[in-house]
Amino acid sequence: MPGTKDRWFKFLLLMPAVLWVLAFTVYPLVAAVRYSFSSYVMGRGIVGWVGVDNFTNVLTSADFWHSVLITLIYTVVAVGLEVIIGVALAWVIHLNMPGHKVFRAIITAPLFTMGVAVGYLGVTLFSSNGGLYAHLLAQIGIEVPWLSTATGGLSAAILLDVWRWTSFIFLITLAGLGGISEELYEAALLDTRNQWTVFRYVAMPLLKPVVSIALLLRLVECFKTFGLPYALTSGGPGTSTQLFSTMDYLTTIQFFDFGKGSAMGVTFLVLVSVVIVIFFRQMRRQIE
Amino acid sequence: MDSSLWQNTTPLGRMVVYVILIAVSVWVVLPFLWAVGNSFKDVVSTFSAGAFIPFVDYQPSLASWESVLGSPNALLALMNSFIASIGATIMVIILGTPAAYSLARFEFKIPSRDISIWFLSQRVLPPAVVLVPFFVVMVNLKLIDTRLALILVYTTFNLPFGVLIMRDIFRDISQDIEDAARIDGATEWQVFYRIALPLSVNGLITTGIIVFAFSWNEALFAATLTSREAATLPVYILSSRSTRGVDFNIAAVNTLLAIVPPVVMSLFVQRYLARGLSFGAVKG
Repeated sequence: MPGTKDRWFKFLLLMPAVLWVLAFTVYPLVAAVRYSFSSYVMGRGIVGWVGVDNFTNVLTSADFWHSVLITLIYTVVAVGLEVIIGVALAWVIHLNMPGHKVFRAIITAPLFTMGVAVGYLGVTLFSSNGGLYAHLLAQIGIEVPWLSTATGGLSAAILLDVWRWTSFIFLITLAGLGGISEELYEAALLDTRNQWTVFRYVAMPLLKPVVSIALLLRLVECFKTFGLPYALTSGGPGTSTQLFSTMDYLTTIQFFDFGKGSAMGVTFLVLVSVVIVIFFRQMRRQIE
Repeated sequence: MDSSLWQNTTPLGRMVVYVILIAVSVWVVLPFLWAVGNSFKDVVSTFSAGAFIPFVDYQPSLASWESVLGSPNALLALMNSFIASIGATIMVIILGTPAAYSLARFEFKIPSRDISIWFLSQRVLPPAVVLVPFFVVMVNLKLIDTRLALILVYTTFNLPFGVLIMRDIFRDISQDIEDAARIDGATEWQVFYRIALPLSVNGLITTGIIVFAFSWNEALFAATLTSREAATLPVYILSSRSTRGVDFNIAAVNTLLAIVPPVVMSLFVQRYLARGLSFGAVKG
């Protein structure tokens, strides 16, 4: 056991990281709250306090609520599809059939692809002028106005998100399946030959904690999504596919409205806190 | 090695499984192939989406690659991306490894699990919330449009993640070896530096690659904090998208340059990936 002289050692190791995170996240968060109650002029700093005006401004803005709605739809649909497809694929690969390693490598390939690049490539996939998907669909007589309508643009972004992130759910679920003893399946197979029954009553209950962690991690990341939809549609046509992140970015960087930008951020944080609280409850149980 | 589940799958079931897997593989691979194909086309042949087979449907050329790799802006962006990502990775390893070891081995007044959860909470914070303060701080420090600004930001957002996964890695190492070294008179620092660190090197490399990939792919802060000198690949791509529109062949080359490095790196670290990405919550 480490003796008393080592009491300082553990702090010495821990402190640099703690101080770094404190300095770079607590300060900005406090600053964001301050700015959200102020009028901020670029180059001059805070020029006055405006009370809750920025918040009234945000809360009564149709654009803000629209972006929250779009973010919600994007997140629920994309993450929902990713969980269903990812878990199904993990189960299939888990059968360890001949060739499973090749398929596993293919399914995980998009894991670390850059969102901006995927969105940019997406333009060339969905564009009605020579885009691959548009071309292939036209062969079977289907024409979808992918990038020229709100529904089309949002669907295209979600499809690309699913293409990219299903690999994440897949990988974590597969690791979870690896932790289930083969003997449990063998016992179940004495009673039934039905795969679905084995999955439903043996694997699913044991997988639940793992899948809920994967789901929550994806939810939390998805709320932050910026690069992929921004590169694909830039929020257009018009502002019809504007997500919270892209709108906050534009408010901050194009219009330099720091007071409103901060108020938007703080409001959004309050809105997603429910998810975040659930997240921590789950995480606390998993991390010992 | 077949599992008993596969042995109990009927021939029809096996066929369904392969059909599904092949269909999914096509769906996953198609965009990659499309990008590779387009990167060897000239602008004119990109207008015919049906031109798939090189030498038959179109004459492949290296012109698009030469055009992008001959552009100083693209090369600068590539270099900025590498420097910012590698810089952040090194910082996360230097700051995070000792902290992770400390949390894995020692007791604190606050339970080590709660300190870990606190680290994690930083990752969950939507970055858009702190976009303005970071921008203002970087303006005040005169760090706008510098790689250093990006290294600071990426270190901040990835450090919590790095600490959690490395803590998990250290907990896997048997304490017996460390205790034996202590009995032989090794100081705590020597135990950490000479024994625990070398034993965990594979896990640390995995962590490094994940941090590298997250930094490499980051767009929001890159677009906010840089414009020309320190612009990384996502910023370069976004600006070439808005100024030049989308030339399919150029888009393909840009996409491949941006996608390939982290994807190739991840191929080497399959083992810890699931654990790492779930912050150690899943043992893989």
